[in-house]
Amino acid sequence: MAKLNIDHVNKSFGDNLVLKDLAFDVKEEEFVSIIGPSGSGKSTLFHLIGGLYEPDDGMIQLDGKRINGQKGAISYMPQSPSLLPWRTLLENVVLGAEIHGKMEEKTAKSMIQKAGLSGFEHSYPHELSGGMQQRASFIRSLLSPQSLICLDEPFSALDEFTRLEMQKWLLDTWEQHQRSILFITHNIEEALYLSDRIILLSDRPATVQREFKVPFTRPRDPSIVLTEEFLKMKQTIHSELKVLL
Amino acid sequence: MNNVIQKGWRPTSVLILLLLFWELSSRWMGIPEWLLPAPTAIVQEGISGWSAYAPHLFSTIRLTLTGFTIGSAVGLAVATLLHLIPKVREAVYPLLILSQNIPIIVLAPLLVIWFGFGVLPKLIIIVLVCFFPIAVATMDGFRQTKNEYIHYMKMAGATQSQIFRKVEWPYALPSIFSGLKISATYSVMGAVISEWLGANKGIGVYMTLASSSFRTDRVFVAIFFIMMLSLLFFLLITQLEKWATRWKGENARG
Repeated sequence: MAKLNIDHVNKSFGDNLVLKDLAFDVKEEEFVSIIGPSGSGKSTLFHLIGGLYEPDDGMIQLDGKRINGQKGAISYMPQSPSLLPWRTLLENVVLGAEIHGKMEEKTAKSMIQKAGLSGFEHSYPHELSGGMQQRASFIRSLLSPQSLICLDEPFSALDEFTRLEMQKWLLDTWEQHQRSILFITHNIEEALYLSDRIILLSDRPATVQREFKVPFTRPRDPSIVLTEEFLKMKQTIHSELKVLL
Repeated sequence: MNNVIQKGWRPTSVLILLLLFWELSSRWMGIPEWLLPAPTAIVQEGISGWSAYAPHLFSTIRLTLTGFTIGSAVGLAVATLLHLIPKVREAVYPLLILSQNIPIIVLAPLLVIWFGFGVLPKLIIIVLVCFFPIAVATMDGFRQTKNEYIHYMKMAGATQSQIFRKVEWPYALPSIFSGLKISATYSVMGAVISEWLGANKGIGVYMTLASSSFRTDRVFVAIFFIMMLSLLFFLLITQLEKWATRWKGENARG
């Protein structure tokens, strides 16, 4: 059974149709990336799944249950780390769990340690680097009780070096925890390296243009980005994207 | 400490020069004592008259603290209410601003007519001058909360009250303290004005008595203590602010 099922969803703001008959699913423990031209309604899709808005038509299902307009059904990692500046790192990473009344400081501490942030538990966000803040933000979403994690272009604001490091770290961490992930990005390479499946959205109104199955085995080594097969897939996706532009 | 000396020597020397000029001019030009007493004469009166005005001073401090506490509580409550219920905000906000346009000097005698000479009309005056800066600063603080925090909280499924307690309230703390600092100095003024109306104790009373009997030195003593009280109050709240917003660090802008 699918973890998340987007069932022919339509959404418009005023006369502006943003999502049109959008349908796809995310399976249990699957890593799915969504790429598409900017302004194609990727963020709107997340807001719908997050329950901030309701779709005009269609249904969003999580574990077979309808979650249209229901807030807090998913765990969320935003584009900017959005750590609360008056909370220490430790207090920040438990926030997602705290909202739902579950606190496990012990798990939090061991996760902070595994993320290479030990010694910073009681530091405030402004004392951490951008990469460290993003790690904290991801730990926060992992510690949240929901089983599906939605990541909204989490690495787009980082520099190239930090981004590569963070991608590797994200993969390692995810492989240990095996949660279902829905990942928005505009970086084809990032999508290919990380995911099991890539969903390409069309320009507005967004609908599923094409789906790609990523054939690489796990665990993945960062060096696969230089293999011929990888580059070939990148090319295919790229040409498909070009049709849209 | 070194820093204090480096920053403080300029204003301190200006102050000393000013006092010196005052002292010398009142001695050499023979300005009468009732018109403008020399600083030394004021200090002398301040020391010898302590037992005479100490009860007045403590009465004013008590009145100020009580009024300030109630005023702050009212200010915070008003801000919270108006923030959480936008319809009330629309309805009441103009009224709030109007309340600040009433001249206190005119309102004060009215309050005495309505509530007598007890402590109640005095507290009302202090609360009236105190609550407004706090309410306005706090509401601004709530409203300026970064959207990304609220967005995250909503996506994570936080309730309205969780968002308020965990995000908006701490975010507004620095603004709240700005309001508190302004109100702290206002509250001392408010207390003195309210005592002019008719009280049997307080620095305001002491001042009225002194000026009507041409004891200008005592007026200056009163002025000095009013200034000190405001300053002390201000410093106290600054310290409290430093402690409450210690997460901000030296170079962080939250």
